[in-house]
Amino acid sequence: MTETPTAANQRLDRRKRHKQLMYGSLLVGLIGIVVGALIGQYLAGVLIYWAGFLGMLAIWQVSPVTLYDERDTELERKASDYTLSVLAITGVLAIPGLVLLESEGLLTLPAAFDGAVLVFVGIFIVFAVIYTGLRLRA
Amino acid sequence: MKNNVRDRREHAGESQAELAVAVGVSRQSINAIERGRYDPSLELAFKLARHYECAIEDLFDPEFGE
Repeated sequence: MTETPTAANQRLDRRKRHKQLMYGSLLVGLIGIVVGALIGQYLAGVLIYWAGFLGMLAIWQVSPVTLYDERDTELERKASDYTLSVLAITGVLAIPGLVLLESEGLLTLPAAFDGAVLVFVGIFIVFAVIYTGLRLRA
Repeated sequence: MKNNVRDRREHAGESQAELAVAVGVSRQSINAIERGRYDPSLELAFKLARHYECAIEDLFDPEFGE
């Protein structure tokens, strides 16, 4: 049965308000960890960050209205897909190219490069494991 | 995939917000469906059809697409 216009709008307003609260909680956490790091209060910063993150999850879970629908999920799926594609293309072209330039003495890669490559490879290993798991279950 | 959700909704005198609440999605999702920018899941298509007491084929027509 269709709700009255007022009831429907109230419900949608509540969804909007709860989403704003979620993002607000996360934002407080992010600001907390950055400010904490800047003033040397790392423990307090991390605690605020965790509290903000947990607050976001709590609002999401206890909210009586559905905060995300199937279109949101679809958009996230597409964004993840495009992100992985961009990462893959960038990695395939950039990493071997940079290594080649270094081996030819044309470039000195920073020490962080190896770590970045490891993180990059790690992302695709996690993807492969999850994909395989999903495929076996499908 | 084309659809006539907007026609059905307007004929029923409903707002996007009312339809959104009735089928459990956001108003933006209803807007995206009506504009043909988002094809709903089978579950949501069934909900829409049930809401308007019609068959899914009466709401959505894949033949119009492409």
